[in-house]
Amino acid sequence: MQQEMNRENPCEPCAEFEAMLALLAADELNPAEQAEVADHLAHCDRCTETLERERELLALIAERRIEPDAALLSSCRAGLEDALDREEERGTLRGLIARVLPGGWIAPRPAWGAALLLLLGFSVGMLAPRLLHQPVVAGNSNISTRESAPDDAPADTSRSPIDIRTAQVAGINVMPARDNQPPQVELQVRSRQPFKVQGTVNNEDVKSLLINVLRNNDRFDPDVRLDAVDLLRARNNDSDVRSALCHAVHTDSNAAVRLKALEALNGAEPQDLIRQTLLDALVDDKNPGVRVEAINALRGMAAKGQVVPDDHMLAVLHERMRKDPSTYIRIQSAAAIRDLGPREKF
Amino acid sequence: MIGISVALEGDARQAAAAKLAEEHALVRSAQAGDRLAFEELVRRYDREVLRLALNLVHRSEDARDIYQEGFLRVYRNLHRFRFECSFYTWLYRIVTNVALDHLRRRTSRREDQAPVPEEADGGTRDFFDRQPEHRASANPEKRLLGQELGQHISAALKRLSPRERMVFEMKHYQGLKLRAIGDLLGTSEETVKNSLFRATRKLRSCLDGMR
Repeated sequence: MQQEMNRENPCEPCAEFEAMLALLAADELNPAEQAEVADHLAHCDRCTETLERERELLALIAERRIEPDAALLSSCRAGLEDALDREEERGTLRGLIARVLPGGWIAPRPAWGAALLLLLGFSVGMLAPRLLHQPVVAGNSNISTRESAPDDAPADTSRSPIDIRTAQVAGINVMPARDNQPPQVELQVRSRQPFKVQGTVNNEDVKSLLINVLRNNDRFDPDVRLDAVDLLRARNNDSDVRSALCHAVHTDSNAAVRLKALEALNGAEPQDLIRQTLLDALVDDKNPGVRVEAINALRGMAAKGQVVPDDHMLAVLHERMRKDPSTYIRIQSAAAIRDLGPREKF
Repeated sequence: MIGISVALEGDARQAAAAKLAEEHALVRSAQAGDRLAFEELVRRYDREVLRLALNLVHRSEDARDIYQEGFLRVYRNLHRFRFECSFYTWLYRIVTNVALDHLRRRTSRREDQAPVPEEADGGTRDFFDRQPEHRASANPEKRLLGQELGQHISAALKRLSPRERMVFEMKHYQGLKLRAIGDLLGTSEETVKNSLFRATRKLRSCLDGMR
């Protein structure tokens, strides 16, 4: 029947080879089958044309391939984390009910079971918000949320400093700043029992969490790292913060984060570490935007007399002036040498 | 020369074994309730899961649903994973089942509803249609043709059955071999071959008019 149809339509391939052509286009034939099809194609124009159309079709469809963008992936991850939180809460509740009311009691009394569940749900709904918003008591180790703390106090006195230094930050919410005050920050921290830390960047726990994000940059999303850099900028004269920002410039895989970290170092107390970080970025960073920021920052510091040029620095600038692929950086390096180099004596 | 290649193969095998052992350790931690270990496993594979979902359903909202439902099922059933296959294979099996359920639901919903004109505005266009036509952006006529082609491809893909769509996606977008697809879908290689053939035939008949 198929063969008859194909004979009527000269564009159709030979019926006995039609499936094999689709598999050949999909690279799914073994060598013997490939040889068999090749022999047939040598004297069959219809099948040759069909194979060409098959490949053309796959190429057309491949061109319309969609790659998930970072924003969608990020929102999926955030949604999943929320869903997992809810799942864990439900699991805890189920475990509690199972302990209080063994299945053997509920099974023969479904109506009682349903009524009890309703009552329990109502009670949890009424009581949980009040319990969760009680002020933190020192020594209580089962805290899941935390109201904002004064800047000079740890955000949560119940957790050990080790928890804070190694905690994973899932998300950062920044509230708008008022009256030149640092913005309030809410950090969602992942752990077996997720919790939130609130405060300004002047709070030591908040600072430690943000530094942890930059120090372990491969474990966090670029959005979280960018927020961390942005917030830490206000404390760039703190030695731990400065060191974390320099670490981000050296090691972060995302050029936007490295660039922002370089910007955040601007205005920090000039120290050898910062100067060396700028020079390292100028020499090693593959991204021209980061190198431009580095040379501009070096020139800015030179103009203010904040860097004392030495042989190493001048050698780096000379090398950039000759070899950097970016014309702008070559020109700026020459200008920096002119500003910093030894003056000609007249 | 042969000695070097044997040594390199040995190194690659050792690296693969180390990676597998590390992954098994992560799975065991996740099975013991370590949420961070589970999230690390998610991050290893979630981009591929989202890519599969997005190219199957063409709507970011639906892809997000498949992503979330898939990983939640993995989380709930983690204690059932017995290390008899790779974690990736096991995860993919679950996600493809979720995606197939989603496609089936959508197909039956579409059949229940009155037909909506393809060209109508108001959310009936899918993700493919909203993608900019990069190749022909400078030429309005080519851009229009590109958009038209995109709509035809979307319409043609929608004519495939959920299983044909899944096989086609896994073969031509994910680059999997038919035997692996059969393993993932819990069916024989022969059945997968037939699905791929039917899918290709339907697409060809839909898109021949565009040439």
